[in-house]
Amino acid sequence: MTRRLLLLGLLGLSLGAPAAYAQTAPANPVDPASVQALKDMGAQLQALKRFRVTTDLSGERVLADGQKLTHSATATMDVARPDRLRATMRSPRSQRVLYFDGTNATLYTPALKVYSTVELNDSLAGLVEKLENRFGIEVPLADLFVWGTPDAPLDKIESAMNAGQDFIGDELCDHYAFRQGNVDWQIWISTGAKPLPRKVVITNRADEARPQSVSLISWNLKPSFNDAVFRFVPPQGATQAQILAPKTK
Amino acid sequence: MKHTFSTPHRAALAACMVAGLVLAPLAQAAGNRGGGHGGGVHAGGGARGNAQVNHSRADVRTNNVRSTSVNNVNVNKNVNVNVSNNRGCCNNGWDNDYHPVATAAAVTATVAVTSAVIGSIVRVPPPGCVPVNYGGYVYQQCGSTWYQPQGGQYVVIAPPY
Repeated sequence: MTRRLLLLGLLGLSLGAPAAYAQTAPANPVDPASVQALKDMGAQLQALKRFRVTTDLSGERVLADGQKLTHSATATMDVARPDRLRATMRSPRSQRVLYFDGTNATLYTPALKVYSTVELNDSLAGLVEKLENRFGIEVPLADLFVWGTPDAPLDKIESAMNAGQDFIGDELCDHYAFRQGNVDWQIWISTGAKPLPRKVVITNRADEARPQSVSLISWNLKPSFNDAVFRFVPPQGATQAQILAPKTK
Repeated sequence: MKHTFSTPHRAALAACMVAGLVLAPLAQAAGNRGGGHGGGVHAGGGARGNAQVNHSRADVRTNNVRSTSVNNVNVNKNVNVNVSNNRGCCNNGWDNDYHPVATAAAVTATVAVTSAVIGSIVRVPPPGCVPVNYGGYVYQQCGSTWYQPQGGQYVVIAPPY
């Protein structure tokens, strides 16, 4: 009797073991909870009415022989939904300021005192889309205005997983990893009261050197700016430059 | 006293390049300005906002970025097909205001010979140039010649058009 129980026990162990340790890939590569985390974050982002957000970015470019060079840039954005934004972008060759007051978008380069203005009556998501598609201008942290809208569909994600937790600065974050097309991307979302993105890493798989960008994101949800910061007033001596639509490939 | 290359020196160099390399691959032309010929860029003030970047000592190989090197800095731009990413100019993100002289050169080398050699540097663009904003960055356009502001000077780039 004892022996039989032992035998059964062993059998149970041997049968049970694979189940207990089976770290095989889940049947569905898209973890619904990870996608839900993106939805929650998107809803939170869209609910923020007035904020300042800054980002520190490292990007990579790949040389002909596969060697990679990393460059750095920073941006500070003052935002008032639904249609006000001022973004100050600094990268090695220039500092530029994008002003958007809901009617006009102006890109100003202070060092050259040159600005270009286009009429643009739209939301922030519309601003991002139109600057990109009409003029080839990418807005820093454009994702912040797109997540939580139909322009960021979540049904095309091919793989989604929870990658555990991590600290970004002092803040504990949930770490998620996604795959879609030739892009692998990761996001660190604050576990605090407001699920906001604190870090984004994007890996381009279309190049075998896999160039990557890393954006660290900081939030100020009680900013002190007023609405005047969104209006561009040309400084004395500034000249206006025509803005050219990029050539389509 | 700090030695810098004088403007005539640079002009002579540029003339040399015009004579010798009119039909040479533009990447190579850009290469001829390497090796420290672009000295004399002012370093600017100490404050971060005022300091000017001096790229003149950068190795010419840093310009040779391959076409598959797409700089993805926003997720949705790159994964969602309804947001087009087929423009000729702008795979550099907002962060990388670097004009791929050599890469563009591969496309334009067979098309036209511009009046100024790609990669040559001037302190002031010729009269008659107008500022244009292309892909979010300001250039001086003089007919078919494009100048990119760089550290208080202007470098001739392969025309994006």
